[in-house]
Amino acid sequence: MKKTWILAWNTVRESFRKKTTYIIILFALIMIAASEFFAFLSAQEQTKMIMDTSFAVIEFFGFLLAMFGSITAVSSEIEKRTIYTLLTKPITRTNFILGKYLGMFFILLINFVIMTIFFLLLIHFKKIPINIAIFKTLFLIFMELLVIASISLALATFTSDAFNIIASCFLYIIGHLTSYGRQVIEMTKNIVIKGLADMMYTILPNYQNFSIRDKVVVGIPVPWQYVLIVTGYGIMYIVIALLIGIYFFRTREI
Amino acid sequence: MAIIQTKDLTKIYTIGRNKTVVGLNHLNLTIEEGELFGILGPNGSGKTTCLKLLLGTLFPTSGEAYIMGKTPYDVEMKQHVGFLPENPYYYEYLTGKELLLFYGKLFDIDKEVLKEKIEELLKLVGLENTKKLSLRHYSKGMLERIGLAASLINDPKILILDEPTTGLDPIGCRDTRNLLIQLKDAGKTILLSSHFLSEVERVCTRIAILHKGVLLTTGKLDELMDKYKSVNLEDLFIKTIDEYEEKIQTQGVAQ
Repeated sequence: MKKTWILAWNTVRESFRKKTTYIIILFALIMIAASEFFAFLSAQEQTKMIMDTSFAVIEFFGFLLAMFGSITAVSSEIEKRTIYTLLTKPITRTNFILGKYLGMFFILLINFVIMTIFFLLLIHFKKIPINIAIFKTLFLIFMELLVIASISLALATFTSDAFNIIASCFLYIIGHLTSYGRQVIEMTKNIVIKGLADMMYTILPNYQNFSIRDKVVVGIPVPWQYVLIVTGYGIMYIVIALLIGIYFFRTREI
Repeated sequence: MAIIQTKDLTKIYTIGRNKTVVGLNHLNLTIEEGELFGILGPNGSGKTTCLKLLLGTLFPTSGEAYIMGKTPYDVEMKQHVGFLPENPYYYEYLTGKELLLFYGKLFDIDKEVLKEKIEELLKLVGLENTKKLSLRHYSKGMLERIGLAASLINDPKILILDEPTTGLDPIGCRDTRNLLIQLKDAGKTILLSSHFLSEVERVCTRIAILHKGVLLTTGKLDELMDKYKSVNLEDLFIKTIDEYEEKIQTQGVAQ
């Protein structure tokens, strides 16, 4: 476990020395600009728009960071051949994958905390009340980012960067559309298409489960029980993705 | 006692759909404890493939490899091995000191001991004044030196060096050569892969010559020179390769 932490710390250090934190600054600018843009709306509409836009921006920039961060965490080691020396040290390939994921966890956490602080300051400045529902929304967005990071990391162990980006983006889009897709499929009479769609719906992560912002911005309460169930759902995907990543990385030649 | 051993170690690379290339062909090699053993061969002869198989970054198509009686994937065994890759690939965002600290921690070395070891190694490779410089600003020779220091961070029993003098100037080559002799005298087992014959001739006690993945000959340097009636290692090297090529051609013509 200690070696996993050492590898994780090196991943965090690499990320910050490569100045990925600029993404946060970009996020802050967009968020501030967005809030000013909606200044002409009525107070109630403005609150809704600021909240909705901010959640969306946090999620989107988090998605980019989770995807690109996880891909480069593995592929840069392979492309720059630092992995060749690293694997001759007394670590296992499982240590490597878990270390990279743990590193990504902290990178996402640090960025997420900074983005959240900006967001909370903004809504405080706009005199929007800060309630527990906001934190529930943010927590589930963070869980979603952890799932995305685990999937991109697993894919990085056996696919090219280009394929990984396409696959991760595809999963992100499909993952947010599965609920709608299922409704459409329910109306389909073709058994084969229905069966395939059902299979995809079962296997692929439904990212929409993590998205409660539509309810929160209009004041619909989200019970803690739902947050817990979705957290469990996310952890299940993370574990499966990491096991797949470990399996492929253990069989990969360097 | 054999500290490094390969048994019929074979690696066949698959290129494209149907094409295969033999990287290493039934290699049987035994290296004794305390030896300074040189693996020689022209480019593409299978030297690096052999080292990668020994270190577990490649998987053999068939055959076995052992270091200290353990398989190449044994973490406990790696605790006692130091490795210098052919080209120095290190984290360019780290400083020399940070790199050694990072690798040292992976060996679970005590913090205070590690601190002292890093200072000692940086001095040994002549980088004590550039320890705070990030590796992206290092020259090729400096990277080679920091790589050598990194390979010694765990005070290894076995040192595996892939072309350790590439990129070094004549003084650097001399220093590395002297260091290898010192390490051998200190009881380390050193496996050195190189195509710089003069370097190998000066330091190695036993050698193996590889060509096209095949072990052409192995033994004590002076005995092999006598056997092949060679005046020096270069002569021996060329004679064994020419002999093999002639044999292949004769077999080809006969077929």
